[in-house]
Amino acid sequence: MFRYSTFALALVVSALCAGAEDLLVLQDLSGRQGGRLVYAQRSEPKTFNPIFAADSVSREAIGMMMADLVHINRYTQRTEPALAKSWTVSPDGRRYALELRRGIRFSDGQPFSADDVVFSFRVYLDTALDSPQRDLLMPGGKPIVVKKVGDCRVEFDLPVRYAAAERLFDGFAILPRHLLEPAYKTGKLAEAWGLRTPPAAITGLGPFRLKQNIPGQRLVLERNPYYWKADKNGIRLPYLNEVDLTQAGSEDMQVLRFESGESDVIRRVGAHDFAVLEKESRRRGYTVSDLGPGMEYTSLYFNLDPAAGRPGFLRRRSFRQAVSTAIDRNALVRLVYGGHAAPLGTPVPPGNKAWVDASLRPPVPSVSAARALLSSGGFKWSGGNLLDPAGKRVEFSIITSAGNDDRVQMATLIQADLKELGIQVDVVPLEFRSLLDRVLRTHQFDTALMSMADGDADPNPDMNTWMSDGGNHLWNTAEKSPSMPWEAEIDRLMRQQMTVPDYARRKKMYDLVQQILMEHMPLVPLVSPDILVGAKRNLGNFRPALMDHYTLWNIEELYWRELRTGERP
Amino acid sequence: MRYAARRLLHSLVLLIGVSLLSFLFANLAPGDYFSAMQTDPRISAETIAGLRARAGLDQPLPVRYAGWAESMLRGDFGYSLAYNSPVAPLVWERIRATLLLTGTATFVAWLLAIPLGIWSAAHYGGWRDHALNAALSLLLAVPDLVLAIVLLAGAVETGWLPVGGITSPGWDIMDAAARLRDILSHLALPAGVLVLGMLPVLTRHVRAGMLEALRSPFALNARAQGIPRRRLLFHHLLPAAANPLVSLFGFSLGTLLSASLLVEVVTGWPGLGPLFLDAIMGRDFALVLAVVMLSTALLAAGNLAADLLLYRLDPRIRVQ
Amino acid sequence: MMRDLRRFWPPLVLLAAFHAAVVLAGFLAPYDYAEQHRDFPYAPPSRIHLVHLRPYAESPDGKSYPIEFLVHGRLFGVRPPGVVFLLGTDGSGRDVFSRLLYGGRVSLLTGLAAALLSLVLGTALGTIAGFFGGWPDQLLMRGGELMMALPWFYLLLAVRAFLPLHISAVEAFALLIAIIGGIGWVRPARLVRGVVLAGRENGFVQAARGFGAGSPYLIRRHVLPLTFPVVLTQATVLIPQYILAEVTLSFLGLGVGEPVPSWGNMLAEARQYHTIVEHTWLLAPAIAIVPLLLGFLLLADALSGQQVST
Repeated sequence: MFRYSTFALALVVSALCAGAEDLLVLQDLSGRQGGRLVYAQRSEPKTFNPIFAADSVSREAIGMMMADLVHINRYTQRTEPALAKSWTVSPDGRRYALELRRGIRFSDGQPFSADDVVFSFRVYLDTALDSPQRDLLMPGGKPIVVKKVGDCRVEFDLPVRYAAAERLFDGFAILPRHLLEPAYKTGKLAEAWGLRTPPAAITGLGPFRLKQNIPGQRLVLERNPYYWKADKNGIRLPYLNEVDLTQAGSEDMQVLRFESGESDVIRRVGAHDFAVLEKESRRRGYTVSDLGPGMEYTSLYFNLDPAAGRPGFLRRRSFRQAVSTAIDRNALVRLVYGGHAAPLGTPVPPGNKAWVDASLRPPVPSVSAARALLSSGGFKWSGGNLLDPAGKRVEFSIITSAGNDDRVQMATLIQADLKELGIQVDVVPLEFRSLLDRVLRTHQFDTALMSMADGDADPNPDMNTWMSDGGNHLWNTAEKSPSMPWEAEIDRLMRQQMTVPDYARRKKMYDLVQQILMEHMPLVPLVSPDILVGAKRNLGNFRPALMDHYTLWNIEELYWRELRTGERP
Repeated sequence: MRYAARRLLHSLVLLIGVSLLSFLFANLAPGDYFSAMQTDPRISAETIAGLRARAGLDQPLPVRYAGWAESMLRGDFGYSLAYNSPVAPLVWERIRATLLLTGTATFVAWLLAIPLGIWSAAHYGGWRDHALNAALSLLLAVPDLVLAIVLLAGAVETGWLPVGGITSPGWDIMDAAARLRDILSHLALPAGVLVLGMLPVLTRHVRAGMLEALRSPFALNARAQGIPRRRLLFHHLLPAAANPLVSLFGFSLGTLLSASLLVEVVTGWPGLGPLFLDAIMGRDFALVLAVVMLSTALLAAGNLAADLLLYRLDPRIRVQ
Repeated sequence: MMRDLRRFWPPLVLLAAFHAAVVLAGFLAPYDYAEQHRDFPYAPPSRIHLVHLRPYAESPDGKSYPIEFLVHGRLFGVRPPGVVFLLGTDGSGRDVFSRLLYGGRVSLLTGLAAALLSLVLGTALGTIAGFFGGWPDQLLMRGGELMMALPWFYLLLAVRAFLPLHISAVEAFALLIAIIGGIGWVRPARLVRGVVLAGRENGFVQAARGFGAGSPYLIRRHVLPLTFPVVLTQATVLIPQYILAEVTLSFLGLGVGEPVPSWGNMLAEARQYHTIVEHTWLLAPAIAIVPLLLGFLLLADALSGQQVST
């Protein structure tokens, strides 16, 4: 009865963006319906609130229940239509007009319209809320202006020209105004959609909706019957009836659950665990694959803040270049990752296919070349120990995250490499937030071995990493303006590439940024680990990708080739 | 009774002391809940500052403490930043699983330790004693976490036990017997790890206490009177050896909430462990403090129980 | 007190052998603890076979090389390019046997010294609490509960942030011992207190008190001996626990730093699933602790032991 009345209500209200249902038909997709997929997450989602969720596990779950206007295909790394079926860009590149899909509904059956879009972006942009996503909508420091122009049409005005701005829409979940506006008006939006919210009160436009939540144990998602994609045979997606997100507790447990068959898919396996899984794969009925290096890059960052009181040799280019030359990256790849990684010659990882400057090769490790570099920089040796031009013994520490065995091992290998140059290196593993505090706030460190990831395969979201006033400018987060001419040059190039729409020209500028970085070496790029994934052999349309979420990004397309016994079709 | 009432008062002071010092410690530790966001190039420093202000982290320590105390009195136990929710419901949801695990493990461990310790003492110096000691030394030498992974690897290899969790999918449609079997099969592995971890310490103390009792003139006397060995060991000597065991038992009770935290994480048991570990690493301080406060209360209660028991067992003791 | 001296010999010999092995690590170990054989990560233990009564070690590449004795100041070794790994290698190709010997230095010292500190503190405070009762008892026992309940993790992080990045080996040792031993006195203290509570009411203690014996004398002469078995038993469980506790501090950046080995950080590497199923030899430190613990246990037995009448 209840369903009927809401349906009737919906008919009245849906004058907003009505019309025949605008399904997105995927012409080369087929599969069969039914079945349940079990996926062991590392820990439990902490919230279902897309506005405030900051941890990757929560976002993993939210991603299955929500949809965005324009989506980045994780496999091709290109944008494709989602809730917006098309868009146009004004000649000056600052106005985006998005045509929304007609006649589609939220997972509770309520119709979707331009009002929901406007509401969503009002929330994300609200300065009183401080959503962690807000800054993405502030290119050049000013907010994007969102306007409804008709029931199924929205316009976005950018404050500045911003290349590839349609990529910004990826990941901005469109929220149901009918459910969240009351909480927004009473200032209770942060508490909304917590773990204890009843499943019926959480709704989205994604392929699944929440069915049951058993805290600390598992989350059961069921198919959203209103989902707006269909395959070539006209079957409405998703294929799967249910997704079980169980909570493993640790990475080891994720591996164990996958190996024992209790979890159907695994992503981001460690290299050594991968070797174990690979051996068992035939017997256990799953496949594992190495997708090659992803978007993560591990580097050694030097502390270049002159006010931090750290040794002066860190700020000598010849020293940094010598360190880079002496490090045997291939040994890191072989010993730490069992070969499942790529040595780096630029901080843009090879997984970022469109933007990496492939001409920047990792240096051939050479002690003699490193010695020559040091000599040319005025360094000397005495009794096997390296002395800086001021005659002081060269000794420094590498801090890294104690919770990450791979990085600690890398630091130990680098320590041994640099010993060959007469450099005394101390490896200091620190708890993660203590490490961040030193690198970002107190600057009490010499070098830090850290991993960063290109979240989007575009340079723009990484502005904060390379701009001298950026918060992620790890070699010196204190400076507000470039303190060195090459930093000024990077700033100029980054600002310029942000506004140029033409890919080829942007690429040239970004290549130049990478070349400047490698010439001055504020960081030594080391390795980029491969993305190692696995899934039951029986899982159809499984297309793991180099971008987050790697395995389940196309969860609506996944299906079981043969249903397991006892499962309803 | 007056004694117990006074102890209760002391425990209250203890709780306040613990909460004050915990606030101080957390304040001294580098980083806060929001510092991990700083590594995301897509989030600006202004936004993080705004989030901090919303969470009240920019307030001075006394103000934050007052806010927490008020929330404590309301029964909320503070506000979790990671979950955007009061802490109390989060903790209550998981505390049962933890108590089920530690309660079972503690019970089984004592059940095994007492006869093993007595047996070992009765065969003092013989090969059986040595063999048991060697086995217990091995258990002491292997960290719990390694032991857990060894057992987990065995479970995966043989498929005898499920790996992690407390119930299987499809729990909703099981009947009562199947549910019991399901829970027990999930419980076996983490409880086993805990039992094996507790066993050496307990057995050693039982053994030492028994040896001490066996050496007393009273034991010689009793033997001379022809009291049967088993009866002598269990009825006469065990109570005589009980004193340190009672204190130890108090600890067992007192650590019911904290003993299993790491084992839970490693074996995927959905109790307080994973919640607590995430919170402590993530500086979700209210959640940390809630678990700390609960385990402090339990610790005080366990020790009180031990003292009362000590008094009952040994009337010579006058506990003021 | 009649003690059977023969009971002392086996544990003493065992413990002496252990400590000697560790002290002589530089001689007994075929390699330096930091030496990386990068071509042989996770190499399994070398096979040793005899040819005409001469031992040969099989390198991971399948070739055999004769083992030579007393060369380059080491007890034994193999001429390069041959290698000999009695207990295999770790992920960086470092010889586990050599690291085990060197690592024992850190571990035995911290384990023993920290346990000693805990026991001395615990016995002293437990005796005071049990003997005097009243407010000292309440204060000390509630203080103990405070010690056990506090989130030390955060304080230790703060301490780490306050210290300079590079901590010398001696400073690291002192820190380890002070932290591990200083926090761990509560359990022994409570056990000792329980025994003292009962013991001070003993006939002979009361009698001595009646003769006008002062508290220090009573404690030393009559009460402390009662706590002996409990303290010894605690020692046998605390030493291994403290050897392993060092790992936790390494996580905070307060342990001994790479590449210096300790049994704790060697086992931390072994705490991963792939190690347990593929690289079992990395668990060697856990096995090595066992005879050591047995030695301590036998020693404790001998120390507390008159003959037992069973």
